[in-house]
Amino acid sequence: MEAILEGISLSLSASALTGIMVGIILGQLLGSIPGLTAAMAVALLVPFSFYFDPWVGIPMMLAMFKGSLFGSSMPAILLRTPGTPAAAATVIDGNPLAKSGKGGKAMHTVLYASVFGDAFSDICLILGAGMLASIAIRFGPSEYVVLILFALMSLVSLNHGSSWKGIISILLGMLISCIGLDPITGTERLTFGNLELFEGIGLIPMLIGFLAISEVFSQLEQPIRNLGEKAITFSKRREDNRLSGTERRALLPTLLRSSAIGTVTGALPGLGSTVAAFIAYNEARRTAKNPKEFGHGSLHGIAAPEAANNAVSGANLIPLLAFGIPGDVAAALILGALLIQGIVPGPLAFRDNPVPIYAIFSAMLLANIVNYVIGLGFIPLAKKMVSVPKRLLFPAVLVFASAGAYAMRGSLFDVQLMFGFGVMGWLMSKFQFPTVLLVIGFILAPILERSARQTLIIVSASDGWFAFVTSRPVLMILLAILAILTVIIIRQRMVMSRYVSAQ
Amino acid sequence: MKFIRTVFHALIILTVVLALVEVATAGNYPSKPITIVVPYAPGGGGDAFTRAIALQAQEILGAKIFVENRMGGGATIGVGTVARARADGYTLGFVSSSPVVAAPNFFNVPYDPAKDLTYLSRFIISAAPVLVRGDSKFQSFRDLIVYAKANPGKLLWSTAGINGAPHIATEAAFTQEGIKSAFLPMQGSTEVLAALLGGTIAMGVMSDYAGPLAAGDVRALADIGSERVPDLAEIPTYREMGYALTPTIFFGLAGPAGLPAEVISTWDHTMRTITASAAFIEVAKRLNGNVAYLDHKAFQAMVLDEIGTMRETLQSLEVPK
Repeated sequence: MEAILEGISLSLSASALTGIMVGIILGQLLGSIPGLTAAMAVALLVPFSFYFDPWVGIPMMLAMFKGSLFGSSMPAILLRTPGTPAAAATVIDGNPLAKSGKGGKAMHTVLYASVFGDAFSDICLILGAGMLASIAIRFGPSEYVVLILFALMSLVSLNHGSSWKGIISILLGMLISCIGLDPITGTERLTFGNLELFEGIGLIPMLIGFLAISEVFSQLEQPIRNLGEKAITFSKRREDNRLSGTERRALLPTLLRSSAIGTVTGALPGLGSTVAAFIAYNEARRTAKNPKEFGHGSLHGIAAPEAANNAVSGANLIPLLAFGIPGDVAAALILGALLIQGIVPGPLAFRDNPVPIYAIFSAMLLANIVNYVIGLGFIPLAKKMVSVPKRLLFPAVLVFASAGAYAMRGSLFDVQLMFGFGVMGWLMSKFQFPTVLLVIGFILAPILERSARQTLIIVSASDGWFAFVTSRPVLMILLAILAILTVIIIRQRMVMSRYVSAQ
Repeated sequence: MKFIRTVFHALIILTVVLALVEVATAGNYPSKPITIVVPYAPGGGGDAFTRAIALQAQEILGAKIFVENRMGGGATIGVGTVARARADGYTLGFVSSSPVVAAPNFFNVPYDPAKDLTYLSRFIISAAPVLVRGDSKFQSFRDLIVYAKANPGKLLWSTAGINGAPHIATEAAFTQEGIKSAFLPMQGSTEVLAALLGGTIAMGVMSDYAGPLAAGDVRALADIGSERVPDLAEIPTYREMGYALTPTIFFGLAGPAGLPAEVISTWDHTMRTITASAAFIEVAKRLNGNVAYLDHKAFQAMVLDEIGTMRETLQSLEVPK
């Protein structure tokens, strides 16, 4: 108890609060610039965290991640360009809403959902890290296969237009993800002997190329007289620029469900916030009263992925604190910083070093409040930034995008890739192939492939399929849920098509 | 005409002056900023060590040092950049065992590790122990061998990287014992640790072990190396158990082939000072590495020896790739 109080008082010190403020501001800024991620900035900070107290340096890093998840949704909504991959799902409903003039409402939804998801998973982390981690550790490759299948279901529901074009897009994304080292044999695949392709196509050049650069190319086709227009206009009506109390309350079930999905996904190492965002989006759409709204600016469609991707960031620390296993890059960097501080994460940390850990917990909760307050100030700023004429905005996007693609690995090859993907994305959208589906296929395929092939190896080392499945209770539960969901979705579709044909 | 002659003379004088400057500065390396290329992402162990060394070396050498991350190609792109750089001592690189000793046996790398690099100094070695769960029935490495012999293809194990030193050395040991096991390829020690604790695999071989070992979640049964490291002093090594391939996992500093003698002696002196400093020893302790300094001569000999042994063992044992 004393340790907890001491921890809280440390997190309220001036230096800790400054660290959180700086972290949130930097995070929101870096997150909102495509290609620059909080992970890069934090990585550079790790060696210097040696010189900070743990309750200053580590909350600052955590605050950066929290801030960047909110910041990255701003360009996703306003420019169709997610600042980080985690915001890719936010594009689907956020961008249509902004195009209808309600960009302000969309951004307030993001802020509300982000802070909600953050707070939810932080509280889960603080109260139930040990318990959640002992469940999460039971998830092996076979359970991951089922989880990715959940996420892939969202592809079915996302597809509004022609279904064969959607399938081609997904397969194309999966094909591109095959470039690089084979995850099982370690041999080169589709690299044509080029060392730059050895570790596969980077997600950042891919994402920026397909979503941002292709948009710039489409703008180039516009008649010159349109270039003086603004890229996006904001409605002057007050209710289009805020989130009303009724709307907030209506979003609560979606937020709770999505935050829970994000927390569970975050507790599982290696899945990440992008996967969580897509699973949550799919669940929100499946359980929605009017699923037709989705894809055309549904508030639930914005809130679900945002709550989920933020919930991942706190939950990532669950396996880290319970077993010393970092859930993703962000947690791995925090692990590095903790080690430099002489704190070895794991069950012993609570016994040997409780004060800094409670200080970090308390600082995380504080960071959520700071994130909300600074976010409120950031929204008008973001509006102002995109209110410049297109002829200024899009060249600037081009410059930032190139810098971002270069900065990721210090490689000009990635910039070339980005432009190549830009041309491809532009052609695809000209012929109505959904580029978002290509990106999801690219993100999900590697985890699916690796887990599926790992599962095959594990099964071959056990006593047959039946013995394998029955020896894993979590897998049996997941398979049952998957089967039930599949039946529900098929029935929904049948009801819908009957409804359509009756009209 | 006179004007052209004047310009011509001026150019000659300028060239001579520049040449003299070059000669004058040749005697006091370093006279301009040095770049150290890290072939890994910022934030990892190799990056953290290099940045710690750069901070101290800046003070000793009185020259700015830039740390540049050049990732990709399983760390071979960054090492290739160093191998192709001008051999003037202003472009150096962080090297570890993987891109130098292991990778060239499996991929076409853009350099010859035995010919294109000058190995300046080794500063860290790490153990890579064979780990089992804390409550595992396997009490010794021998227990694992006995089980694997009795149950061919059933011992499920993994390492942090495919074809890394822990993978190859253990595969070679199993080949020597005539064991057929099930290797599960995974990416990164995080995944291996989760699979080990979750019961998916029975054994993992990797360098990241400090936290779970201290907590009792895992037990170490053997180390793949040739000499015992301080924090695993009671664990036998592969060499003690008579296995042929016992690679050392090392972190070091290297430059292009043909570095001037002055550069080599400068770094011998600098790295000896840094690795003996209390600050560096503290950083190493926290990042879970064992300070094990070797100067240029000893490091060069060690790396060439490791490269040769790895190649010969892989050929003679016909280790499954």
